[in-house]
Amino acid sequence: MDDALRTSPLDAQHRALGARMAEFGGWEMPIQYTGVLEEHRQCRTDAVAFDVSHLGTVEVRGPRAFELLQWAFTNDLGRIEPGRAQYTHLLDPGDAHVVDDLIVWWLDATSFLVMPNASNTARLTDALREHAAAATDDVVIADVTESRAVLAVQGPSARTRLRAVAPELAAVAHFGVQTAVWHAVPCVVAGTGYTGEDGVEIQVPTAHAVELWEALLTAGVTPAGLGARDTLRLEAALPLHGHELGPGITPLQAGLSWVVRFDKGDFRGRGPLEAERERGPARRSAGIAVEGRQPPRAGATVMAGERAAGIVTSGNFSPTLGHGIALALIDSAVGAAEELAVDIRGKLVPAQRVRTPFVPRGA
Amino acid sequence: MNTPDELQYTAEHEWVRIEAGEAVVGITDFAQDSLGDVVYVSLPEPGSAVTGGQSVAEVESTKSVSEIYAPLAGTVVAVNEALADQPELLNHDPYGAGWIMRLRLDGPPEGLLDAAAYRSLVE
Repeated sequence: MDDALRTSPLDAQHRALGARMAEFGGWEMPIQYTGVLEEHRQCRTDAVAFDVSHLGTVEVRGPRAFELLQWAFTNDLGRIEPGRAQYTHLLDPGDAHVVDDLIVWWLDATSFLVMPNASNTARLTDALREHAAAATDDVVIADVTESRAVLAVQGPSARTRLRAVAPELAAVAHFGVQTAVWHAVPCVVAGTGYTGEDGVEIQVPTAHAVELWEALLTAGVTPAGLGARDTLRLEAALPLHGHELGPGITPLQAGLSWVVRFDKGDFRGRGPLEAERERGPARRSAGIAVEGRQPPRAGATVMAGERAAGIVTSGNFSPTLGHGIALALIDSAVGAAEELAVDIRGKLVPAQRVRTPFVPRGA
Repeated sequence: MNTPDELQYTAEHEWVRIEAGEAVVGITDFAQDSLGDVVYVSLPEPGSAVTGGQSVAEVESTKSVSEIYAPLAGTVVAVNEALADQPELLNHDPYGAGWIMRLRLDGPPEGLLDAAAYRSLVE
């Protein structure tokens, strides 16, 4: 094993901008440039660019590619078509926990880009190869993470600002996918993101990543780090693998039953998940809000009266709302009207269940 | 980093200004920069007695929680109530509007670092 941290093709640019760097999923990535709160605000009001090159990209192509992915993942590719993206889950075949949550970019009839979380790329390729070997050899599975950078341009002005420097990349529809040539550079762009704002994610060949990054900054897009990306996705109640999803947590517990299409036929992990659906999940993810600014953090116990009722999976101060918010796994036996409190290092802070997303899309 | 010469410091990245038997306490510029944007500060109860090194407050950023220790033994005579709604004062003005608490000291101040000694710790 090589324990050295991987770095982005934009590493020198981040350092030149004075970014604070930190380890994330085996990569050394920018956490913040000027500050989390300011970068968060820029994304809610204007446009920011995140370097998310640490995400994996796995190319899956061949006449049997559709069949393989349809079998491996929970969502139904039959409900979309080439030129569209879909959020989906890879489940453990034993207990149906979410091994990874990913986005599939469907390029054309026989080719897909699958985007796993940074640290789960090997788990994904192993799972796909295992199924491919069992079924057919008519499919190629290639980890192409090294060949490209991924830039996410997000915010209400993301497309306007992007249009000024790369109109070819700004036209993609929400959850659309297209290949586009920018300055003779072949890119792939999708109308996806992880902030609760409009925006796009662009895969650009590694050798041209700096050129695109510099063009975005020239267009007035503010660089933002993974710190702000985390507070933004929490306000949008988007799950983070290792927190809302992971070992012991199924899609049904995570409140993501819409990601699972039991009507499509068999898929990896279907058996144990169906059994859980029949008996009802023992706990479910819920949004909770606390009065005051103190962040209820991951790992904090949620109390219902005198008894432990759940655990916070992600929590922080919401910069948009001005108070603490959290996603928590709450025992199904706890009534919706029961009064909750979060145990923050020994202090019980009253909490309320609230609708998610905490901050409505495009608010 | 700004480390004013007229203040005294602790190895836990707090500054202390001694004024006629009292000590005003805050966190250093180095500390606020390391923490990042501060979003919440818990303050001690005015009137409470504290011993040197005792954890008396918490400062939270979006990423982490840090404890604030009483630099000296004494009684809390005032806390900076403005931090409840404006914790960002710790980032913007750590040696001024971002002060945390005022202690009436039990005895003469001992064991603090001067600015040069603190600078050598963080540079």
